Amino acid sequence: MADDGAVITIEGLTKSYGKFRALNGIDMHVERGTVHGFLGPNGAGKSTTIRVLLGLLRADAGTVRLLDADPWHDVVELHRRLAYVPGDVSLWPGMTGGEAIDLLGTLRGGLDDARRADLVERFELDPTKRGRQYSKGNRQKVAIVAALASDAELLILDEPTSGLDPLMEQVFQQVIGEAMSRGATVLLSSHIMSELETLADRMSIIRDGVIVETGTLDDLRARARTTVHATLTTTPSAAELSMLHDVNVDGRRLAATVDSARIGEAMSVLTAHGLTALTVEPPSLESLFLRLYDGENGTGNAP
Amino acid sequence: MSASLTGTRPLLHTTMKHDGRLFAPWILIASVLAGSSVLVYPWVFPTEAERAFLTTTVGANPALGLIFGPAFDLSTPDGFTAWRSLALGGFLAALGAIFAVIRATRGQEDSGQAELLASGVLGRSSRLLTGVAIALIGSIAMGVVAGGLTIALGGQVESSMLLGATFTATGWMFGAVAAVAAQIGSDARTANSIAVAVLGSLFVLRGFLYSIEAPSWTSWVNPLAWMTETRPASGNHWWPLALAVGFTAVALVVAFTLEARRDFGQGTIKPGPGPSRGKDRSTLKLAARLSRGPFITWSIAFVAFGFVFGFLAKSVPDLFASDPTIQKVLAAGATSADELVAAFLVTILSMVGIIASISGVQTMIKVRTEEMADRVEPVLATAVARPRYFGSNVIVAFMGPTVLVLIAGTVIAALASGADLGVTFGDTFAQAVAVVPAVWTVVALSAAIIGARPKVILAAWLGVLVSFGLTLLGPTFGLDDWVLGVSPFWHVPHTGAANPDYSGLLWVSLVTLGFLAVGFAGFRRRDLAR
Repeated sequence: MADDGAVITIEGLTKSYGKFRALNGIDMHVERGTVHGFLGPNGAGKSTTIRVLLGLLRADAGTVRLLDADPWHDVVELHRRLAYVPGDVSLWPGMTGGEAIDLLGTLRGGLDDARRADLVERFELDPTKRGRQYSKGNRQKVAIVAALASDAELLILDEPTSGLDPLMEQVFQQVIGEAMSRGATVLLSSHIMSELETLADRMSIIRDGVIVETGTLDDLRARARTTVHATLTTTPSAAELSMLHDVNVDGRRLAATVDSARIGEAMSVLTAHGLTALTVEPPSLESLFLRLYDGENGTGNAP
Repeated sequence: MSASLTGTRPLLHTTMKHDGRLFAPWILIASVLAGSSVLVYPWVFPTEAERAFLTTTVGANPALGLIFGPAFDLSTPDGFTAWRSLALGGFLAALGAIFAVIRATRGQEDSGQAELLASGVLGRSSRLLTGVAIALIGSIAMGVVAGGLTIALGGQVESSMLLGATFTATGWMFGAVAAVAAQIGSDARTANSIAVAVLGSLFVLRGFLYSIEAPSWTSWVNPLAWMTETRPASGNHWWPLALAVGFTAVALVVAFTLEARRDFGQGTIKPGPGPSRGKDRSTLKLAARLSRGPFITWSIAFVAFGFVFGFLAKSVPDLFASDPTIQKVLAAGATSADELVAAFLVTILSMVGIIASISGVQTMIKVRTEEMADRVEPVLATAVARPRYFGSNVIVAFMGPTVLVLIAGTVIAALASGADLGVTFGDTFAQAVAVVPAVWTVVALSAAIIGARPKVILAAWLGVLVSFGLTLLGPTFGLDDWVLGVSPFWHVPHTGAANPDYSGLLWVSLVTLGFLAVGFAGFRRRDLAR
């Protein structure tokens, strides 16, 4: 395939809607056979990026390669090899879920009847209901079954599990695992931390139309700040605490965050002030995302 | 205010602000229709002789009466205005009111907005009341604007006000009909179809009964005929408006009673379970399926049109025989009975074509609706190229109206050839076929708009509007040929003539191809809406 084994390569992608700049120079690489998490706050540009990848929107500038082809020009050949689950599935009101699965599956180039039946059963989907009768979660299941009932090389999933209950969420994770074992590559946009923690090999975080962070979960953790709670006998000066962030001193108690790389330094300063109690929390995924989403102290390439 | 109506005021206020302007096009068209008539009449028909000739030609063409209703008095500007705009203006007011009510009730339930509202501090009948209020207020606005404009342009005060009042009354009645339909159909589309079907049948029935000069009691069972019986400028009867108000009140009581009994999101007509496996597995079948419901409704309507127009054709000789002015024209050798019959058949088949093209435009507009509802996205995310998706819909949009024209054409041809008109089945059916290319041009224009500039989606109706205006209204305005030629239906050859000239169809078809090229190119290049 592509020279470096990349299934998705995006460089300097920009896209504007009128005067509003939705994407402002996106760079992203997704390796073959991996699950790539794609996350960011609402309105950051996730869906726009995905719609460019699907050839629904035309890029204003930058290069986008998908399975070594151009998503705008090579639509049909590309779409035979990928499957897509939108985050907000809208079904034809008068068509049953089963009919929608068969229509979409066939249009992509055929589906595997045995796997279709298996997925319908595992997701506990009633395929005889009409589109207008399904709840949000059930509409989502229809799209998931339609996408996974065939052998797609690349799965593009835009918040696929929004509206699914925890049991179905678990089934979804298993099903993605099975697709991976068949050699599929997955681009997974999601807000569900546990889902990303279980599935994603690498992730890219987008904010205001720019990728602000990319790497494995451990990379991201290493770049995040650790929370420190300490009880001291003497009060340190502000200058001494310059390597700490979010400092909150309440008498002898100190709470702060510190970059993972400077924990040692911070410890030696705190020890000098008579450390009597200490808790150190490694960065949770939530706190990591909250910080990145919030825009506070990103990696610096934000506009 | 009772608890079931709590919150109506703020809801009405917001709805007016957001959806109120959707009533504006209806008001505009009806006002232009009424205002323009009074303005042009003295200019186009300055002399008594011309006015008398107008009366004769209108009387000789029952097809016109079918749409416009009976011409009580065409010798004055106000009488002409009343004839030309009463039926159509009322029809427009009714459509505006129906769409407003369904949008504010079923439309919101479908989109989920209503659920959001219903969970707030809002009585259970407030949304229906809001929809009805919009329709009532919009109809009043339409009556005031249309009547006011007509007076401003030189119309007589009383007859113009009465004309405006019939618009308002028609809007009221069908706003109330729509309120009932919204309780019966379980989604917006079904509810819209029910209300529009009632309107359409009553409209055709009114024209038909007046055209065949049915007994006068038949006027009193049809609410639309009450409006005709107000006779603006030829009697000025105000009292039939009271019947309209009574009808509105009764229908609203029915609607609110049904509303109080039904579950949220449900209707009287409930959907059952469907097949678990799908047979429709191509974009063409998808497009055909999405148009299937409306197409069945249209087919039934076109069988009915066929009978109505066919029976009219059968009655043409009687009408000619009974009308002394026509007899005089015929005796003078200005025209022959055959020519009048042929002209009549061309007019009604063109009318059939124009109405059929509405269904094609609807199919194309559905492409945009599907796109806005995010349902095109998953289809185009499969191995479907955009031209194939668009092309499938164009094929359905072309085939639907074609079948409709042929359905009505067959029925008309069968009835006309059976009557003593001197026309054969073949001639009349050939005339129906000759109309089809013009229908395609109208549909192709909507394809160009949807493909290339979907933001101006209302322009998709331009072809229908222009064809209707120029083919049916144009001749009574005495417009020049080059203006009339803008309508593709003007180029439809008279197949019954000695040497029919088919070259017009060639030009019309070239324009069709041009529109299609624009549509395909536009749809391939543009961003799809989220």
